[in-house]
Amino acid sequence: MDVSQYLDIFIDETNEHIQALSDNIMALEQEPENKDTINEIFRAAHSLKGMAGTMGFKRMQHLTHDMENVFSEVRNDAVKVDSNLIDILFKCLDAVEGYLETVKATSDEGTEDNAALIKMLNDVLDGNSGGSSDDAAEEAPAAAEASAPAPSADDAAGSEDPNGTNHFLALKLDDEGLGKLRSAVEDDGLKLYGMTVHIQKECLLKAARAFLVFKALEDYGEILIYDPSSQDIEDEKFDLGFSVIFASESEDIEAIKTSVLAVSEIEQVDLLPVTVEQYEKAAEAESEAAPAPAAEAAEPEAVAAPAPATAPAPAAESASTPAAKKAANKPVTTRTVRVDLEKLDALMNQVSELIIAKNSLVSISSSSENSSGGLDTQSWQSQIEYLERITTNLHESVMKVRMVPIESTVNKFPRMIRDLSRKLGKPMNLVMTGEETELDRTVVDQLGDPLQHLLRNSADHGIESPEERRAAGKPEEGTIFLNAFQEGNNVIIQVGDDGGGINTEKVKAKAIERGMVTPEEADNLSQKEIIDFLFMPSFSMAKTITDISGRGVGLDVVKSNIEALGGNVEVKSTLGSGSTFTVRLPLTLAIIQALMVEIRDEKYAIALGSIQIIEDISIEDIKYVEAKEVVHLRGSVIPIIRLDQLLDFEPLDSEPSNLTVVVVKKGDLQAGLVVDNLIGQQEIVIKSLGKVIDNNKLISGATILGDGEVAMILDVNALM
Amino acid sequence: MAAELETLDEEKIQYIVVMIGSEQYGLDISVVDNIVRMQKITRVPKAPSYYPGVINLRGEVVPVMSARLKMGLEEDEITKDTRIIILRLEAQGLVGILVDEVKEVITLGESEIDRSNQNSNKQDTTYINGIGKSGDSLVSIFEINAIIDEVEV
Repeated sequence: MDVSQYLDIFIDETNEHIQALSDNIMALEQEPENKDTINEIFRAAHSLKGMAGTMGFKRMQHLTHDMENVFSEVRNDAVKVDSNLIDILFKCLDAVEGYLETVKATSDEGTEDNAALIKMLNDVLDGNSGGSSDDAAEEAPAAAEASAPAPSADDAAGSEDPNGTNHFLALKLDDEGLGKLRSAVEDDGLKLYGMTVHIQKECLLKAARAFLVFKALEDYGEILIYDPSSQDIEDEKFDLGFSVIFASESEDIEAIKTSVLAVSEIEQVDLLPVTVEQYEKAAEAESEAAPAPAAEAAEPEAVAAPAPATAPAPAAESASTPAAKKAANKPVTTRTVRVDLEKLDALMNQVSELIIAKNSLVSISSSSENSSGGLDTQSWQSQIEYLERITTNLHESVMKVRMVPIESTVNKFPRMIRDLSRKLGKPMNLVMTGEETELDRTVVDQLGDPLQHLLRNSADHGIESPEERRAAGKPEEGTIFLNAFQEGNNVIIQVGDDGGGINTEKVKAKAIERGMVTPEEADNLSQKEIIDFLFMPSFSMAKTITDISGRGVGLDVVKSNIEALGGNVEVKSTLGSGSTFTVRLPLTLAIIQALMVEIRDEKYAIALGSIQIIEDISIEDIKYVEAKEVVHLRGSVIPIIRLDQLLDFEPLDSEPSNLTVVVVKKGDLQAGLVVDNLIGQQEIVIKSLGKVIDNNKLISGATILGDGEVAMILDVNALM
Repeated sequence: MAAELETLDEEKIQYIVVMIGSEQYGLDISVVDNIVRMQKITRVPKAPSYYPGVINLRGEVVPVMSARLKMGLEEDEITKDTRIIILRLEAQGLVGILVDEVKEVITLGESEIDRSNQNSNKQDTTYINGIGKSGDSLVSIFEINAIIDEVEV
């Protein structure tokens, strides 16, 4: 069986399970006795193992298997949870993630055995509960034996589809099926068994599970009847259960059942001996009610029992190896977005409306052709308005489909801060809010690194040592926060700490030492200008270089990463009470609502999201502060930016007595942009200017207007 | 006879011959995406001076460079023969070059191009990597990568 088609699902799911494990292990450290958490961990570990096995990733399976053993002992109270164990478990998780990365890159798990980790896990087991780990060890070979190379799997040709229910006893067989059963009993002297297998609801690889069940059964005999047909099962065209009738020499029902249950994610197996007569009778009297359901013998525990489900491994391994080889070194690059069905429905509706609108336009234009009176402008106009509404909605829907919560990126951070806290010997806590804030998928993907840098920076430089904190009258445990929220067309992510803040004197001294400024210049620098030094390449404030930060590849990388996403970073810092880094990112990347303005004969677009108000001011209202033009509007003093000067236009011969000022904002900052003319609001598609002239901070891109003309988009954030 | 042997022996490259000022220049046809007539160029503020701006090429925004300004000649004079050669480059994407006139397509083998480019005190020598002989006239062969340099960020 070729499992490569499941690779995407595997990667997706494994990521989820790793995340779940990480979250829960964190929770476990806080509450070592919480049974719910332990069970949750156990389930995730078990699924992880099962999936790795199915995909034929033996090493990964081995590691997760040993982890599962440890969790099992924790659940049985045989092993106590302490920080040492948590550390080991986190290391294991990292190793599993390592496997996953290799799988992503090469479609294969690589050759790292992680023997040291496995030994550590086993030491935990041995140290605390020799007896039970022996049990597990004993069971392992037993299960492996059960799955020993399957006999040549002749494709049981029985592919007739008895239109029966899920239950094997209620199967209705046609003559051919009955004939097969009969010949198995009479000619070969085999016993007949009916079996219904129920797969867990959450299972995604149902066909794979069914395949493994069949493999397991083939050790005992031959499957005669499939319901649904074997083809349908292979194609995953079945609900949560399927039934088979198979012939076997074996009389050991329990052994068969155990080996089927050893396949992971099987919820329940109903297995009973059956006879040909039963089915003959059923075929004769089709109306006969289905017999009483078989004993629900399968204890739900059995699925999750410590008995290792190694059965899937060899079977799937042999089948997937050729496929894996074929795909080796070919990175799995597809990136997926899980989309809420409702969002897709909305999209579908809007597309239907679009078609209706198009048809109306067609009919208007054809009716105007017939009647010589020209276009009926009124209905034409209303149709265009209708079309406009649809395209706006359509755009919104498509953008929504692309939006994902930043959760997927930030949820690995609590773990990171925990590790850092231990490494640095500084107690600290990460508080996150707004994880549900949505951003474009491409932005979310690239947000991880810069945020990680900022958090590490806070942990390493921001938070002081416990002694210093005590001396400063602060709680010993430092707090790092990450707040995300939406503001207009931007998403703001604040990362900060309640630590010592940035010591601007030190930064200044460092900058002078580095020869970046002269001492005289340094004295005239504003607070902000000094802090900006931190964003210079290879400017590190760490006194000693640690492997966490201090190599000077921090903040400048953060800055360039964020700017590459069309955003910017700002810092606010108060000496003694902490610093806050504010990352501002555009909500969408491709299409925005914009105000079109005119300066002389050129058109420019300003993103509507950053516009606060548009004012007409008289030239007399302009005042001067530090030789810069400002205007006093509703209690705030707003600097005036003459766009014509900024954009290198020839000055006008005579200045008009009234100026049109577009007031824009960036966070708390405001500025008034002087334009010649307002054109109006428009939805614009952002196009890149191309690489050769894209060194231009003022212009964030270009757009093509309705008449084919190109207009520049002003980057308001760069103006201020 | 000799010419025939030559065609067999060496690879020939096609060049588009354009007029810039009073001289003829050749552009390797393999990087030329297409040639469009002069159209409205939108100025990009703060762009390098030899980029007059961008054009709308079937819904894509394409930067246009003035070959004359880049080579230090006087500003373009827009006539009915002015064309924009659209180049498709691997690193830079689509880039247009303003030329005064497009003349013809010629095929030159390596032996017909003089690579010994000694008159290095002329300003535009860095942008050409050889001089081809087409009939009686000479064609300077553009070094595309030197003309369209990537902008250092």
